[in-house]
Amino acid sequence: MNSLTPVAITGVGESEYGRVLEPPLFDLIANAARKAIEDAGLSAADIDGFASTPGVPPADELAAALGVKERRFTAQASVAGAGTVGAAQLAQLAISAGLAKHVLVYYGIKTSRPGGAYAFHAADPHKADLEMPLGFYGQPLYFAALAQRYRHEYGLTDEQLGEVPVAARAWARMTPGSQKQDPLTLDDYLENPVIATPFRKLDCCLNSDGAAAYVVSSLEAARDLPNPPAVVAGVGFGALPVTLSEMFTQNPDLIQFAGHLSSKRAYEQAGLGPKDVDFAEIYDCFTISVLLQMEELGLCGRGEAASFVEGGRIGPGGDMPVNTHGGHMSNAYIPGTNHVVEAVRQIRGVRGEAQVKDAEVGVIAGLGGNEHATMVLTVDG
Amino acid sequence: MGLPFFEPRLDTDLMRPYWDAIRNNDLKLPACSVCGAWLWYPPESLPCHPNGHLEWRPVPKTGTVYTFTTVERCLLPGDHKDETPYTNALVELDDVPGVRLVTILVNLNGTPPKIGMRVRYAPTKVNDQTLPTFEPET
Ligand SMILES: [Zn+2]
Repeated sequence: MNSLTPVAITGVGESEYGRVLEPPLFDLIANAARKAIEDAGLSAADIDGFASTPGVPPADELAAALGVKERRFTAQASVAGAGTVGAAQLAQLAISAGLAKHVLVYYGIKTSRPGGAYAFHAADPHKADLEMPLGFYGQPLYFAALAQRYRHEYGLTDEQLGEVPVAARAWARMTPGSQKQDPLTLDDYLENPVIATPFRKLDCCLNSDGAAAYVVSSLEAARDLPNPPAVVAGVGFGALPVTLSEMFTQNPDLIQFAGHLSSKRAYEQAGLGPKDVDFAEIYDCFTISVLLQMEELGLCGRGEAASFVEGGRIGPGGDMPVNTHGGHMSNAYIPGTNHVVEAVRQIRGVRGEAQVKDAEVGVIAGLGGNEHATMVLTVDG
Repeated sequence: MGLPFFEPRLDTDLMRPYWDAIRNNDLKLPACSVCGAWLWYPPESLPCHPNGHLEWRPVPKTGTVYTFTTVERCLLPGDHKDETPYTNALVELDDVPGVRLVTILVNLNGTPPKIGMRVRYAPTKVNDQTLPTFEPET
């Protein structure tokens, strides 16, 4: 993979985020896309590549709405965070092959739709026949069972879990547009009712309506554009040999995602390692997901994340800032995509009071069930 | 302690033998007819022997809790408020390697559920449906 053209993220954009928003999903996505293109200092006519994930409006409709003239590359990446983070890999391949100059990655979601975020699991025949009749249904239960197993193997207190949403809320309060802005303490967390042991409602991400987008360009082009380039130093993808159907029950090691595979590949490409990381944006569908991915990214050893996060270490002022916009727990649940937006802003150094000091290397972890993508973003030079 | 009620959808016949066995208070799982490997969840086509078929074989009715969660808020479509709390578990059956059953632990009688807990098959009738539940072995 030494013939890859160096690329950077040149523009980012977000729609408004909220629990139930009036505009249709398509309009939210188009809004985020226009902002990303404008932020890159480009016009719609400059965009010639599109990459996204299943379940969003197709590229032809978005391209038409944006006024894109010629579309030379269209690709569909993996699901959820693995797709929205991993799409940068497709963009880099397209740019390296000369197929596109500026690739728009877009994503939007409306969890306020009937059935919400659980609905796609209900469509799975194995779940419908082997899990739902036993009441084992919905991501909070799947991940609660993972957390229980982690607790058994390594130890995990309620207070340690609580560190994750408390840190996220502190970051969100410094991030305009976050869905959750009211203060949250560890005591508030402990008083929050349990929904499925060991999880409380506050162990789960938000339900959101919203969209976000980013533009990937060659580093050479990026240097002539208005914003400092956020260099995609490495982007890796990984997948476990179990189906998404089986991921939460039959995965031989139930508390293993594919993050150890994708991060290894991303670090290798970047020529960097976990010790170089200044901040991390980690797909936080649940508290346990953050802990497991911190380990898989090598930010701490296996089984060490629960004690690592104690004492506000991932919050503002901590030595390993995580989800510096409030993540999916307090900023918004725009799977993986608002994490990319935030990482780019940290690399640009424009995050005001939430700015991580000397943020030169950031890592983004995108979980998508049995698949995973990791992106390493750095400053230029 | 409640039990959720939600009928298996059985859009295809793939999982039907599982429920047929349960209705007879039995427990059967699918194995490859050629090499005998347990295949769970049952696949549409066999990865080990594509020319073989699924053979539903009786399995031991005892096992160990791999993990669990006690559900206070059921997320199934519809109203299930009166059916909580219940304790979901993933159970590894004795001598059935690589297989975990999704179940509910019943008859706990105040014993806190634990990973590593020995359990045995104890199907429970809810309305007209029999659920593949497990109870503590002792
Ligand atoms: Zn076979």
